Amino acid sequence: MSTTVTKAQIDARLIMPFVNSTRNVLQTMLGLATTIDRPRIKSVPAPEYDYSAIIGFSGQIVGVVVVSFRRETAIKMVNAFAGDEVEPDSSDFSDAIGELANMIAGAAKKDLGGVASISVPTVILGKGHIVARPSDIPCMVIPCKTEAGEFAVEISIKQA
Amino acid sequence: MQYDDHIKQLALFVWDAVLHLPLDEEETSPPVGQRTLSACVHITGAWNGALALTCGDGMAAESAAIMFDLERAGVSISDMQDALGELANMIGGNVKALLPEHCHLSLPMVVEGIDYSFRVPGSRLVSRIPMRSGEHRVTVSLLESDAVAA
Repeated sequence: MSTTVTKAQIDARLIMPFVNSTRNVLQTMLGLATTIDRPRIKSVPAPEYDYSAIIGFSGQIVGVVVVSFRRETAIKMVNAFAGDEVEPDSSDFSDAIGELANMIAGAAKKDLGGVASISVPTVILGKGHIVARPSDIPCMVIPCKTEAGEFAVEISIKQA
Repeated sequence: MQYDDHIKQLALFVWDAVLHLPLDEEETSPPVGQRTLSACVHITGAWNGALALTCGDGMAAESAAIMFDLERAGVSISDMQDALGELANMIGGNVKALLPEHCHLSLPMVVEGIDYSFRVPGSRLVSRIPMRSGEHRVTVSLLESDAVAA
């Protein structure tokens, strides 16, 4: 599949709600301003960052959204979220990563319209992991920068 | 409810019916430092949790070759992910039948890597069954959660 075809299949109306929800959640919950870099298409499955939270969409919107954090970024964000130092190996840490992703996906879901459900997050911890995406849905990566570091939101969703 | 025996039997049934391969209980956990794939299906409704299936890429490749009638050399990583997701979906579907009515199964989520762990926030491990299919190690885990999908 050529990149041109893939670009044509991505609906910007499905992307903007995640840009807005990411900015809003990080500003509201962590007090962090987020700079959104130029989104790119991920044509080949490859690792993004060290920790990922995966949220599945079902209903009128189907697919998967992955929020992936550099380790240092995740530690700073979780500590800010919890208001205390949280051990990265603890369940509280993965709970916090999952909850941030859940808030981003949940807020975006409201703006997407239609009837959709989001899954409980699955959190993956470990450098070099690759999350499988639906093969029939293109993946758009939104690179994000904050004072706490870099992370990315990977969006592979479509209207059912 | 004790899930170990049920999960063991269901995994054995799926392996036999779909892959025509044996599956035996194994005492030890899979070794670290090898490339593995994990497929996870969430169960929501009257009971909330997740079923996860983890194995090495060799088992995933063999499963894909059998399920999709492919030459082993022609199996892609995407085939492996699809095969493992489908196996997790089948075991999860059978587990769902043991749970209270009105439970739903999510689409499978599949991850691969060498040194990773996966967690379902707010859940606790209620069953973990290490098994072996020929030379390959396979682990089936069931997690119960208090969290509810939105």
